[in-house]
Amino acid sequence: MKVVNLVAAVKAEKCRGCKTCERVCPVLAIKVVDRKAVVDADRCRGCAACEQRCPDYAITMIKREQPVVVRVDVGAVDYVKIEELCRRAKLHPEQIICYCTATRAEEVAAAILQGARSPEDVSFQTGARTGCKVECIQPILRLLEAAGIEPSPPKGGWQWYGRTPTVWEIPEEVKKKYASRGFYFEEDIKLLDRVVAAPLQGRSDT
Amino acid sequence: MRPPIPPIPPRQSQYGIDPSLVKRRVSELPGMTSVLLKELFPDLPEVIYPGEQGVAAVRKATEEALQKVDMSMIKPEHSVNILASHHGFTLLGGEPYAEMLKTLKDVIQARTGCKNIRLRAGVGLRFRETEEYIKRYGLDKHFEGKAIGVAPIDEGIPIETEIGTLYGIKKIYDADWIVHAHNSDVREVHFHRQVDRAVKPFGMSYARIETRSTYHQNLGPRAANFTARAIFDSPFVQSKFAFASFLTVAPNGIMGVDADNDLYALNDRITILGCRYYGKMMTLFGEIDECIAALDFPCPVVYVFAAGVIYANFAGANTDLYDLDMPLPAYTWYTESFYGKRGRPLLQEIPPLNPAIKMCVHNYAWTGYPSAFFSEHIPTVVVGQEQAELFNRDPQNLTYMKHAVVAETTETAMEFAYKATGTRKVLIFDGAIGGINLSEPLAEFLLKKAPQVNERVENELLPKWLRQRGVDLSVLRKCAS
Ligand code: SF4
Ligand code: SF4
Repeated sequence: MKVVNLVAAVKAEKCRGCKTCERVCPVLAIKVVDRKAVVDADRCRGCAACEQRCPDYAITMIKREQPVVVRVDVGAVDYVKIEELCRRAKLHPEQIICYCTATRAEEVAAAILQGARSPEDVSFQTGARTGCKVECIQPILRLLEAAGIEPSPPKGGWQWYGRTPTVWEIPEEVKKKYASRGFYFEEDIKLLDRVVAAPLQGRSDT
Repeated sequence: MRPPIPPIPPRQSQYGIDPSLVKRRVSELPGMTSVLLKELFPDLPEVIYPGEQGVAAVRKATEEALQKVDMSMIKPEHSVNILASHHGFTLLGGEPYAEMLKTLKDVIQARTGCKNIRLRAGVGLRFRETEEYIKRYGLDKHFEGKAIGVAPIDEGIPIETEIGTLYGIKKIYDADWIVHAHNSDVREVHFHRQVDRAVKPFGMSYARIETRSTYHQNLGPRAANFTARAIFDSPFVQSKFAFASFLTVAPNGIMGVDADNDLYALNDRITILGCRYYGKMMTLFGEIDECIAALDFPCPVVYVFAAGVIYANFAGANTDLYDLDMPLPAYTWYTESFYGKRGRPLLQEIPPLNPAIKMCVHNYAWTGYPSAFFSEHIPTVVVGQEQAELFNRDPQNLTYMKHAVVAETTETAMEFAYKATGTRKVLIFDGAIGGINLSEPLAEFLLKKAPQVNERVENELLPKWLRQRGVDLSVLRKCAS
């Protein structure tokens, strides 16, 4: 869930049409048309990725007059299915997967169960990955994969490249090789397994 | 009691309020004093900076350290990327790190004849932060226009590793050789747990979002740092790695410069420094029974410094961050994510944020790091409406102010904190160099506790910490003798 209170605005005279903004936008809300960047204000989730990477400082973030609340209603989906999907992805349904927006795994799962097919869909619908834009791509990809979805990265974009290994997938020989160097693989697997299996605190989304 | 030490001044930055709005520093208020770190721990090392020679001492130490480094792989026709990270620029005003970077370029050029030497400076979550430092310290000029900041959402490249494909930032690796220019300051002990500290930027400031998310979401709190080792050990990175050069840092200043073609040898040396010197400061801070934490430094909330310890670590000082048998510190992103919908931890053993922090007075700290967890769990007073507004505009902190209150001035914020908490102990995170700014009752408390902490760390904790990290204790004995 995110209250989107900003929107990107392009100063056309400064824009040189390099497409950097288009390549980094997590919800595909900015596109270069006739060599100038154009923002789809309804899609923009106010993450400032474009503003922070534009090499020509052509973008500013402005305050929305009417903030937009972006959220997926967890209550609209059978919670048993949400739980199943999260646990298959080795996530606790209530664990936070996006620290900036405090989006929980259950909300991303609900988005996927209601039709989200890519990280871009998930970010657009839940607001996740529109804060720091960095830390939450893996749990989103894990949840999509657990739902049997194999999304492709946006063509020509730098939004994301692929899912990476989890601790459950570390090869045995690697674990053995580094056991004495302070990497606690087995212990962390046990810890994360316990988190995944922990009881739910509250079903209500309110 | 000593007068307070001048704090690090506010900095002009897009991530903080305008310096003119910082009207009062907490250390200027009545009842504030300072203690020198050497008074607390007399066996802290001698430092070259701060010192009489200023940053010239850093240049000299860098030149000397580089004498033992092999650069023969770098040919005049090659290209070299000197890799830097934002963190170095937050240490002691930033000049020492900038000077090491400049010296590295000068020495590489003089020794190898190579002229195509670039600076690539990675960031945390403030994508233009190193861009600001490059200008501030004249690095663009020194590197003849070849100095850029890079961010984790920039174009990436896949890197094949022992555990599968991870991703680096393309511009980090777009040279024949890379030189890893970092520092030994511990900073985020809650994340890296002083395991492979020297290697961490390969999984962080030099890495793409996929890799950083692996670290913080896929591997677990004590396996996380393996992402950095996996990338560094990859044939791709090994084929480019020339050497590393580190500012060696203690809580009281810059000890010197350590450079090596063998990053793991350097890592072992700095593991000892990190555990011994910072371990003592953190253990001492863990003894504090009650206090008001005052944030007053040009960095995001979690990164403000006191005696080399960041606020995020003080918030977890109720547990031993160096003890790897303890899985989850009170604050890491793993811990934060394991709070359920009722606002309670999902596992019973998850410790609360340091209950000794009765209130946080946020006099001056930056945006650009998700910090709402702190204001949600620690009563927080933010000074100035402008600062509050800046947080409300930060996509990473949209709920920070939902949990905090605003005071008009530093004075009223502190008065409120004194009244509401009943404590007169104040610890100021303002980057004071060589000491700590704090209130008199806390100064007395720390001076009394320090000798026993010193003994406990040396005799009991340090040997355990090093054993857990597979660091050869004979290296420690050699250092001691
Ligand atoms: S990144 Fe900036 S210059 Fe490039 S297309 Fe977008 S707005 Fe234009
Ligand atoms: S969602 Fe982010 S990157 Fe996309 S247009 Fe809006 S502010 Fe820019």
